[in-house]
Amino acid sequence: MKGSTQDIELLNLIIGFSVMIIPIAIFLYYRVRLVKDLLISSLRMIVQLALVAVYLEWIFKLNNAWINSAWVIVMILISAGTSIKRIKVSAKTFFIPFSLAVLFSLVIIDGFFLGLIIRLDYVFDARYFIPISGMILGNSLNHNIVGLSTYFDGLKQKRELYYFVLTNSGSQKLAIRPFIQEALVKGINPLLAGMSVMGLISLPGMMTGQILGGASPATAIKYQIMIMIAIFVGCVLSLTLSLWYANVKIFDKYGNVKGV
Amino acid sequence: MIEFKNISLNFDNKPVFVDFSAKIEINQHTCFAGASGKGKSTILKLIQGYVLPQKGEIAVHGLGLNAENIAAVRSQLAYIPQNIHLPVDNGSDLVKMLGFESKHDLILDYCSQMGLEKEFYTRKFDQMSGGQKQRLIVAVCLSLERQIILMDEPTASLDAESTEELLKVIRNLKNKTIVSASHNPVWIESADKIINL
Repeated sequence: MKGSTQDIELLNLIIGFSVMIIPIAIFLYYRVRLVKDLLISSLRMIVQLALVAVYLEWIFKLNNAWINSAWVIVMILISAGTSIKRIKVSAKTFFIPFSLAVLFSLVIIDGFFLGLIIRLDYVFDARYFIPISGMILGNSLNHNIVGLSTYFDGLKQKRELYYFVLTNSGSQKLAIRPFIQEALVKGINPLLAGMSVMGLISLPGMMTGQILGGASPATAIKYQIMIMIAIFVGCVLSLTLSLWYANVKIFDKYGNVKGV
Repeated sequence: MIEFKNISLNFDNKPVFVDFSAKIEINQHTCFAGASGKGKSTILKLIQGYVLPQKGEIAVHGLGLNAENIAAVRSQLAYIPQNIHLPVDNGSDLVKMLGFESKHDLILDYCSQMGLEKEFYTRKFDQMSGGQKQRLIVAVCLSLERQIILMDEPTASLDAESTEELLKVIRNLKNKTIVSASHNPVWIESADKIINL
């Protein structure tokens, strides 16, 4: 049926949850302590998405640039907070730098794709601005966590390499380069791997959603290509900016690593 | 001259140095000797400003070791660590990583003095023994032509013959101050001055 999506009955949604028995059985069999986490995460997901449905309904109805931007900023702040929690670094030191890194990359990517490529008359249109920003943010979060963890762990565990290059080259730029290279490779590689098999072993969520929503596959694919490029550039940009901002905070006047 | 004046340093509330003073003369080989955990490697990090003492002063050729002078101090140093894991494949990439690609002839000359053929410069590290890799790193660092050469356990992965070759190169260096940390008796005895920690 074209133009509308088949709704899911509440009872069917509850029945759909019954397949969770499979992972729970596997965790119990192997005594993997993830059952409690799984239940909490599932509950959080339901509550958060239900709230989002209510917010989005309201936000979409108002479609106000300030409210839409405020919503995206809230998402940025939550993303920065989650990164800090997962990387286990000081919130006091890194919350503002990480938030700014994501904000700048989002401004550039949203401005370019929504304004120049899709050519929206109203760039802050909630139907485009919020979900596309959300997809970029969600992906940036994962890849930032991997990249930044790699960077901080590298500087902690391979200090001898940092000292070796810093003394012998006399350049901090050269001394941190191997660590930045490793962070970018580990942070971005999974995204490249995903892009290379897209359409073969994975049908992307945005494209599937658009087709389910009644869009033609050709339009859905064009949007998917665009969003993948936006996600890729957004991830590289936000990770690089986060690394640059982190560098301002993690070295003392002697060039020594501190606060990591 | 490198001078340590009344250095006190604690790690995790355990004293490593208490009111430690020493002088390292220029153009000599000074070796810090002592058992593991006595602070031999820490001395080399103190000179580079990677470990900062809680008390006392360090001066390198008259320059006090502080944030203002740190770049000037480090520019006089070459640092050869022990058994470092490098994220590059060979000597040529190592030179690129350190940002000086114009000294190939000098590197090859030091390689040859240490019994390494030219092809070792581009041979992959995983196709070399630990000793060959260490000697190549020493050759690269010596080609920096810095006045002060810091060597942390330089013979750790060398056999007796390679140790002798390295010592021969070190003895032939003119106008260089060598500061090493070692527990190898052959290496320690070759030094002009030994400071036991």
